Amino acid sequence: MSQDPKRIRNFSIIAHIDHGKSTLSDRILEMTGTISSRDMKEQVLDSMDIERERGITIKSQAVRVDYQAEDGQTYQFNLIDTPGHVDFTYEVSRSLAACEGAVLVVDATQGVEAQTVANAMMAMNAGLEIIPLINKIDLPAAEPERVRTEIEDGLAIPADDAVIASGKTGDGVHDLLESVVYNIPAPEGDATAPLRALIFDSYFDPYRGVVALIRVVDGSIKRGDRVHMIATGIDTLVEEVGVRRPSETPMPDLGVGEVGYLVTGLKEVSKVKVGDTITTVQGRGASPLPGYREVKPMVYTGLFPIDGDQYEPLKEALEKLSLNDPALIWEPEKSHALGFGFRVGFLGLLHMEVIKERLEREFDLELLATAPSVEYHVFKTNGEMVSLHSPQEMPDPGEIVSVEEPYLKAKVLIPPDYVGAVMDLTVARRGTFITMDYLSTTTVELLWEIPLSELIMDYFDKLKSGTKGYASLDYEFDGYKESKLVKLDILLSGKPIDALSFIVHKDKAYDRGKVLTEKLKSIIPRQMFEVPIQAAIGGRVLARETVKAKRKDVLAKCYGGDITRKRKLLEKQKAGKKRMKNIGNVEVPQEAFMAILKVDE
Amino acid sequence: MYDAYKALYLHIPFCKQRCIYCDFETQALPHGDAAITAYIDSLIEEIRHAAKDGKLAEIETVYLGGGTPSYVGGKNLSALLYALSVSMHLTSDVECSMEANPESLTEALVKDVWALGVNRLSLGVQSFDDALLKKLGRVHSADDARRAIDTAQKRFDNVSIDLMCGIPEQTFEDFHESLKIALDLGVKHVSVYPLTVEEGTPLAKMQAKGEIEEVDQDFQALMMQMAASILEPAGLLRYEVASYALPGYECKHNLAYWTGKPYIGLGTSAVTMTQNASKRMRTQDGGVIDELDRRQMAAEDLMLAMRTTQGITEDELREVTLLLPDAPLVFRELAQKGFVERIDERYQPTLAGWLCGNEMYGKIIDMAP
Repeated sequence: MSQDPKRIRNFSIIAHIDHGKSTLSDRILEMTGTISSRDMKEQVLDSMDIERERGITIKSQAVRVDYQAEDGQTYQFNLIDTPGHVDFTYEVSRSLAACEGAVLVVDATQGVEAQTVANAMMAMNAGLEIIPLINKIDLPAAEPERVRTEIEDGLAIPADDAVIASGKTGDGVHDLLESVVYNIPAPEGDATAPLRALIFDSYFDPYRGVVALIRVVDGSIKRGDRVHMIATGIDTLVEEVGVRRPSETPMPDLGVGEVGYLVTGLKEVSKVKVGDTITTVQGRGASPLPGYREVKPMVYTGLFPIDGDQYEPLKEALEKLSLNDPALIWEPEKSHALGFGFRVGFLGLLHMEVIKERLEREFDLELLATAPSVEYHVFKTNGEMVSLHSPQEMPDPGEIVSVEEPYLKAKVLIPPDYVGAVMDLTVARRGTFITMDYLSTTTVELLWEIPLSELIMDYFDKLKSGTKGYASLDYEFDGYKESKLVKLDILLSGKPIDALSFIVHKDKAYDRGKVLTEKLKSIIPRQMFEVPIQAAIGGRVLARETVKAKRKDVLAKCYGGDITRKRKLLEKQKAGKKRMKNIGNVEVPQEAFMAILKVDE
Repeated sequence: MYDAYKALYLHIPFCKQRCIYCDFETQALPHGDAAITAYIDSLIEEIRHAAKDGKLAEIETVYLGGGTPSYVGGKNLSALLYALSVSMHLTSDVECSMEANPESLTEALVKDVWALGVNRLSLGVQSFDDALLKKLGRVHSADDARRAIDTAQKRFDNVSIDLMCGIPEQTFEDFHESLKIALDLGVKHVSVYPLTVEEGTPLAKMQAKGEIEEVDQDFQALMMQMAASILEPAGLLRYEVASYALPGYECKHNLAYWTGKPYIGLGTSAVTMTQNASKRMRTQDGGVIDELDRRQMAAEDLMLAMRTTQGITEDELREVTLLLPDAPLVFRELAQKGFVERIDERYQPTLAGWLCGNEMYGKIIDMAP
């Protein structure tokens, strides 16, 4: 029944942003007759609005294409699209683990760029066969020969038979498909062994329950099988298996090497984890596929509705989004300044931004986010250890013996010219240099140990801007280490504002406090009274600024024709005020709560 | 059915030169340009039509504004005022104001317009400092202004001037001096405007390019306070945010705007307000720009009242509560915040109410969104 694995090719397309990955994918679907050009909507694979707008992929995708090759055989291609951001490194690694090869797309006018390097590394680490493809050769500025040299020198990937193509015109796409047949290895597996299949993505479908995207390694899976998930220990009945073309098509079964979807009927996506191995109930003893990791949030933030009435709708929206996103973790939180809201955990800053944007856009909520924080471990004088997700939970300094914070091992790839800039930036962020390696004449790899809390403070943006966009960053959790950390309070009109407090390294507290009070002074508009802004540790004030009282705010002229205009201006003023939060009589704009993130040193 | 119009505004959209801060509907044309006469002719047509439709039967105040009405010359103004006087009852108890700029106010013109029914002149002096006048793009000098006031006073008892404060580089002494001169010259009414940067004006562009200093709001606030402290002891009492007058010399036409009286505007860009007990509508150049229901009308009237010294009485507040039940609460809150104070059964603006009124106006209008 199942397809002969020799005629299967599983691969991913990887590229730097805007190098034409989506257009190329679309062209493959069109040229293999998978989708007619009439039904073609640009970038079929990026299905979320946010994905399409930002040009990033958040969820994985898998599309099956049948290709009639020149050797007369029909091949089954499974094209797996992976998320494209460091927040989702783990998800990417699982998607790549479902492939035997990758097509590395490089723009013929831009050449090798930071993400090209990072993606190529990841594919090589996953042991994939890489087919370089030089794209956009239809453009007058295309320099395929220069780019070919860059691929060989910069990435150490032989590019003699790189495919020269244009996703736009379709030129070279046929060559690519042939190259996939000849260069990417067929999957290997034991058809007679008990089932082992890798889950590389899962999502919740309101009609069918949790649907998993899987790659069968050994054995086969069919409707009606009772399966067992090794990491979570959950058993369930297979309600349906099938493939996407890209619309879902049920299949009798999926065999060795095949990629497809699996409908479980489970109600919680957290039971079907990315990286877990599926086996049959009988095959319970099978060894799990390597690489599974428990996904843990790295970054926490408080999300508060601007309008208190939106607390319940926010809760419902979070419940709905968590159905599809096991990495999204949340619990209620109360702030004196902001009222009732939630403390929400995310994989990283992009994940956070995307979720916040989806909550606002898809659920029509207006939200205020507090500065992101990490999970701290506080050891108390009474021998207890508490984990904090929020600065507000920090015990009094007298009760603290020590505080530990999460550290990362960060890998930065840059052209040699930027080593100095990256050193300066990373040291300023409390990074400890480990090693430097020349991967090629054009690429240097720097390894650092750096506190996660420093990384989430716009480190990535700074790294990018300091290296003209060339740097790429990858990191992994490296355990907890003790640091001299203190809670810095921000006081408005003498009152501490819980939502503005944050945890900072002692040596940096003075500078951060000073910069932040200055920043807040520029953000908080003048009120009818003077507003002192203070930064303090415990009771000790480190920095102080004052927002002067407003002296004049009146439109003097108000004659016949002005009255309507004046009323409209007042309405506009009111709309502006709605975007502010009233904290103890002080109107504070939303940016204030994120100001800590954008503190330049 | 609509209530009868009580005030008439005539717009004259021509100037010798545009000032850098101006965003009014006006254009600079050479003196005697045929387009000016053509415009006056069509305005006369409009007046006749309005009169024929009975719209001018109960007019109590007339205001010729611009632009610069005095710039169109004696011949045009005579034609216009003559047409007006045969179209409505332009008796001496009808307040008839005309705006004029110092450079174009001749003795002959003063005599002509006075004879034809104008009984109040409002002069765009702005400052008695030549350097500042030049900076603003005004075409007159301080001496021109003194001469013009003197000329106006040969026929007119009721002469008003506009003064501007918070002009970049203007000092307290400069502004103090201008206020003193106004008092010495014996004008009966002074309007004090802080210079406002309107979008799209040459001033806005100059500021964006850094060619001129930013307007300093604190500085303007102090100058507005200074105006009150100089003019009031001399008997010119503040009766509105920007208006000071000897008792009896308050501008009735402007008061009509601020007390919810219906007004008709003729000429390009002039706004007409038409209303009855349940609806208020504003139109401009043939289109509706604003429509208010009873509650919104009440809130607007309340807002405009709180721009005047009169403010509102306890009784009026009680009455408005029928339409706006939150009104007493809102006024208590405004009193708490220091925008209004209650003096003799009356809510009146405080210093904060005069200088930072926008928040108060917003709160009032909010009662009927």
